Amino acid sequence: MLNRRLATLAGGMAAAALLALGPAQAQEKTEIRVIVAHYSDQTMGIFGGMEADFEAAHPDVDIKLEDVSWDNLQQRLTTDIAGGTPPDIAIIGTRWLLDYAANDIAEPLDDYMTPEFKAKFIEAFLEPSVIDGVTYGLPVAASARAMYYNKDLLEKAGISAPPATWDELVAAATAVKEKGEGAYGFGMQGKEIETDIYWYYALWAHGGELVEDGKSGIASEAGIKAANLYKSLIDQGLTQPSPTGSNRQDMESLFKQGRAAMILSGPWLRGQIKTEAPDLNYGLAPIPKGTVQATYGVTDTIMIFKDSEHKEVAWQFLEEAAFSDKNRIAFSEKEGFLPVMKAEAAAPAFADDEELKAFTGMLPYAKFAPLIPNWEAASDTASAALQQIYQGQAEPEAALTDAARKIDELIQQ
Amino acid sequence: MRSDERKTTMLDRTRTLPALLLILPSLALSIWIIGYPIYDVVYTSLHEVNRFGRVRDFAGLTNFAKLFADPIFIASLWRTVLWTATVVGGAILLSIPIAVMLNEDFYGRGIARVIVMLPWAISLAMTAIVWRWSLNGQYGMINATLFQLGILDGPVEWLASFDTAFPIEIAIGILVSIPFTATVLLGGLSSIPADVYEAATIDGATGWQRFRYMTLPLMKPFLQIAIVLNVINVFNSFPIIWVLTQGEPANSTDILVTYLYKLAFRYGRLDTAAAMSLIMFAILLVFTAAYIVLARRSEEKGA
Repeated sequence: MLNRRLATLAGGMAAAALLALGPAQAQEKTEIRVIVAHYSDQTMGIFGGMEADFEAAHPDVDIKLEDVSWDNLQQRLTTDIAGGTPPDIAIIGTRWLLDYAANDIAEPLDDYMTPEFKAKFIEAFLEPSVIDGVTYGLPVAASARAMYYNKDLLEKAGISAPPATWDELVAAATAVKEKGEGAYGFGMQGKEIETDIYWYYALWAHGGELVEDGKSGIASEAGIKAANLYKSLIDQGLTQPSPTGSNRQDMESLFKQGRAAMILSGPWLRGQIKTEAPDLNYGLAPIPKGTVQATYGVTDTIMIFKDSEHKEVAWQFLEEAAFSDKNRIAFSEKEGFLPVMKAEAAAPAFADDEELKAFTGMLPYAKFAPLIPNWEAASDTASAALQQIYQGQAEPEAALTDAARKIDELIQQ
Repeated sequence: MRSDERKTTMLDRTRTLPALLLILPSLALSIWIIGYPIYDVVYTSLHEVNRFGRVRDFAGLTNFAKLFADPIFIASLWRTVLWTATVVGGAILLSIPIAVMLNEDFYGRGIARVIVMLPWAISLAMTAIVWRWSLNGQYGMINATLFQLGILDGPVEWLASFDTAFPIEIAIGILVSIPFTATVLLGGLSSIPADVYEAATIDGATGWQRFRYMTLPLMKPFLQIAIVLNVINVFNSFPIIWVLTQGEPANSTDILVTYLYKLAFRYGRLDTAAAMSLIMFAILLVFTAAYIVLARRSEEKGA
C-alpha cells in the first residue's frame, strides 16, 4: 500500500514537473504589461498593431495589453501601485503625472531619449509631461478646443461670419435669440466634469491665468470679467435655460439637434456629428478672443513605471512601435486626435483636413491644465463657485474670491 | 430529578468544547474578513496616506479635525440626516397602506403583489439613469408631458437647482424603498390571525379603530425592523444622487456617501475618506444601538 502511494506521488510529481516546464519555457520571454486607456472601440486594435510590429522584431518579448476604461483607469492604477504590482507602461491623464513623479512612480525618460527622437515631437505637446526639467512621459493623445457654430442658424440671424471676439459672440447670440425660432444662441455647460474648463476659455481670453505665482488666478480681474460675461449671457436668455442642469453631453446634444447656434468643444464632436447628425450644416472657428486668443489643450501621457523590471525593453516598445510614424498616424487619425509628432501633422490625413485646422491653428495659444497638486479638488471648487454664480446664489467676485482662497490652500498642501 | 439535571449540564459542557473547536475556523475567518478591514480603515484614518495608499506619518486625529473644519462635510452631514429621515419616513408611511391593501383578499392580489415587488429586481443605478433621462429639461419625458398638458410653457431643468433636484431625489428614494418595506410589513400583517379582527368587529370596533389599536401595535416589531434596515440602507445609498446630480450644483445635493466617494476616488485623499467612513459607521452604530434600546424599553413597558 505504501508503495502504491509512493508510486502515485512520483507520478504526480512527474506530471507537476511537466506542467511546470511549459510556463518555464514561456517565461524566458520578457513580458511587458501595457495598460491601454480606452479611447474608443478602435483603441485596442491600434495597439494590437503596435504589439504585432514589436513582437515581430523582438520574438523574445511578449507585450501584454490591458484595456481599461477612463472611468476606472485612475482607480485601477492606484490599486495596482498600492498593491506593489504596477504595469510596465500605462497611459494616464497628463495632469496625474505630478502625483506619479512626486511619489517616485514614474521613470524619468531623458536618458533613454535621443535628441533625434525628441525632435520628432511637436514641442508644445511634449512640454506638459515635463516637470522641473525632467521628462516623465510622452504625449500619446492631444486635443485642443474650438468653437462649433451652426451656419444655418447664424445665417437666419443675419450673421455672415462666425464671431471672432466675445463681444461679437454676444451680438450673434442676441440675433439668434431674436430670429432663431427658439434656438439658443450659446450653449453653456454648468454641470459635472469640465464645468470649470468651459469658463476658463473666457478667463484665458480676458488675459487670466489659472495659477499665477503659485496662487489661484480665478478671482483675478479677468476671472471676474469672464464670470460676469457668462452670468449676463444666462440672464439675457442667450444660453439654454438653467445651465447648471446641462453637462457636456447635454450641451453637445443641443448643438447636434440644431438647437444651439454656438458651443465650445473638442475634435470628438466632429466624429459624433458625422454619424449622428450628418445633415447638420456647421463650421469650426477659433475660441472667441477677449484681449488675447486662447484655447484649452489637453494631452494624455504614456509613461514607464520605475518599478518595472524591463524598463529598457519598455522604452524600446515606445520608441520603435508605439511612436513609429505609421502607428502614430493610425492612432490619431482613427481616434480623431491632433497630431503630436511632426510626421503625423505632415500626413495627408491631417494636412488636407481643413476643419482640423481650426484646432491645430489654435495650438500656439493652447493653455494646458497646470500641474498643481490636488488639481481635481481645485477644479471641483471652481466648478462649485461657478454653479453658485450661474444660479444667482452668489456674486461673481465674492464666490470666486472664496474659491480662490480654498484653491490656494489646496495648492500649498 | 436533580442528578438528571446535572447530567444534562455535564453533557452540554462536554459538547460545548468540540462544538467551539469545530466552528473555530469559520469564526476566525469571519473575524479576519470583518475585523481586518475595520482595523485597516482605523489605521488609515490616523495616518497621512497618499493617493497610492502609501502610508506616511502618523497624523493623530488631524484627518477628523480636517473634516469638521470642512463646511461641505458639515452641510452634507445635515443633508444626509434630512435625506434619511424623509426617505425612510416617506417609505414607511406609504408602505403601510400598500401592505394593508395587499393583505386584503381581492381578485388579482397575486399580480398586484408582484407589481409592487417588481421594481426591487431592477438595479438602483438603472432606475436612476432612466429618471435622469425622464427629467432632462430639453428632451425629457416629464417636461414633454407637462408641456403637452399646458402646465409648462418652457423647459424646466429639474436637476439644475437644489430646490427641485433634492425633493425629486427624495421622491425617487421613497419609490425604490417601497418594495422592500412593503414586503417586510406584509410579512408582519399576514402573521396576525384573522380571528382577532373578527372578535373586534363583533365587539363593534370600526375599521380605523381596528387599524389603530390592533394592526399597528401588532405590527410594531416589523415596523422597527423596516425602520432600522431602511435607515442603514438609505443613509449609505449612493446611486440615486450620484447618477442624477453627482451632488451638484455647488455641492448642494451632496450627502455623506457621495462626498466620501469624491474625497477617496476623485481627490485621492484616502486618509480623510477613511476618517469620514468611520464617522459614518459610528453614526449608524449609535443609531442602531439607541433604537434597539428604545424599542426594548417600550416593549417592557408595554408588557
